[in-house]
Amino acid sequence: MSTPSVKSITKRIKSISSTLQITKAMELVATSKLKKAKETASISQPYFQAIYETMSDIASSADTASQYTSPREVKKAVFIVIAGDRGLAGGYNSNIFKLAIAEEKKLGIKPDIIAIGKKSVDFFSKKDYNIISSYVNVGGNVSHAMCRDIADNFVEGFSSGNIDLVRIFYTSFVSAIKQEELSIDVLPVPLKSTNQKSYIEYDPSPIVVFDRIIPQYSAGILHCSIEEAFTAEQAARRTAMENANKNGEEMLEKISLQYNRARQAGITQEITEIVSGSAAQGN
Amino acid sequence: MTPFRLKIITPYGVFFDGETTNVIVRTTEGDMAVLAGIQPYVSVLGIGKLRIMLGEKYRYASTSGGIIKADKNETVIIANTCEWADEIDIIRAENAKQIAEERRKNANTTNDIKLAEYKLHRAINRIDTAKFK
Repeated sequence: MSTPSVKSITKRIKSISSTLQITKAMELVATSKLKKAKETASISQPYFQAIYETMSDIASSADTASQYTSPREVKKAVFIVIAGDRGLAGGYNSNIFKLAIAEEKKLGIKPDIIAIGKKSVDFFSKKDYNIISSYVNVGGNVSHAMCRDIADNFVEGFSSGNIDLVRIFYTSFVSAIKQEELSIDVLPVPLKSTNQKSYIEYDPSPIVVFDRIIPQYSAGILHCSIEEAFTAEQAARRTAMENANKNGEEMLEKISLQYNRARQAGITQEITEIVSGSAAQGN
Repeated sequence: MTPFRLKIITPYGVFFDGETTNVIVRTTEGDMAVLAGIQPYVSVLGIGKLRIMLGEKYRYASTSGGIIKADKNETVIIANTCEWADEIDIIRAENAKQIAEERRKNANTTNDIKLAEYKLHRAINRIDTAKFK
């Protein structure tokens, strides 16, 4: 093994430690952002839960099937793909794209895209998809009005027959160390009417109430998915940075061993030179 | 009057959770008053005022769509937005009204017109509700 010079090793140590400083800072930032994101996500959760319960209630009692629940032949699909605005989060961004591409193949048609997050916009515009609308920098502070705007548009498209399928792709936050890529169908709504007798009075009628809730329900799903995806992003980034720190520290350890060896070799050589020099003079 | 529990949930958290004797909401079918012991009732909210009886007086708030779900134990209002009349920022609402009016003028597609009118309606409702402090 050729020993690298002390100078080049010092340079590497410096570069690794400065990278470590960045990754350590990023880990701390992600940790605090994760905590905040978890709190915001839990705030909007009850809202969506309540809408969903109402919808399931109606679905189980309505005698007519809504146009929003019956699946049709898919000629035009819209994929809403939620990714991050920044990289350095392990496989967070690329995994969700992989899932979207895989489901596109299963579907057999090229979907239109609503891209949320800068990485998502970049990915799909590079691949020449038709991007209906794109939103960047929304994570962490999701505006419900924005979700309403998006939802109103695709609900309108669905009811007029221009869109046959709306699917959201997002990363769900299972735990701080586990995130899972998911796809859920927003429209048609995956609820089956079971036609049970119900004593609730729907004003004016169950089916009208159901259809009018659809935009809210869609906006609610979108809102929650964006918030959950943002939480998952922070968790993914934290894990990625934690690993980077571990690897960096290991590297640093190895290299400082090398450095000490090189330094010692240098000293030994100098001593040998001095001793042999003085020995030569003494003669 | 018998009190009952009223809960108002918005995307930004629980807006109100407490007891009242009477609440009046604007549904898509018209104004609807809820008293204690109501039959299970569900309807969709339109843009309008929300009146909650607190003590001896109504307290006003503005809403812009949502769901009301009432039964004899409690009433839940799932609102897209909800603001107390005294917390409405009138300057912002006036601005929103102006922007919406301009958008309405310049709108080309029916969808744009619908969206602009919806925003205008909301702004007008907020300005109107703010008078009931």
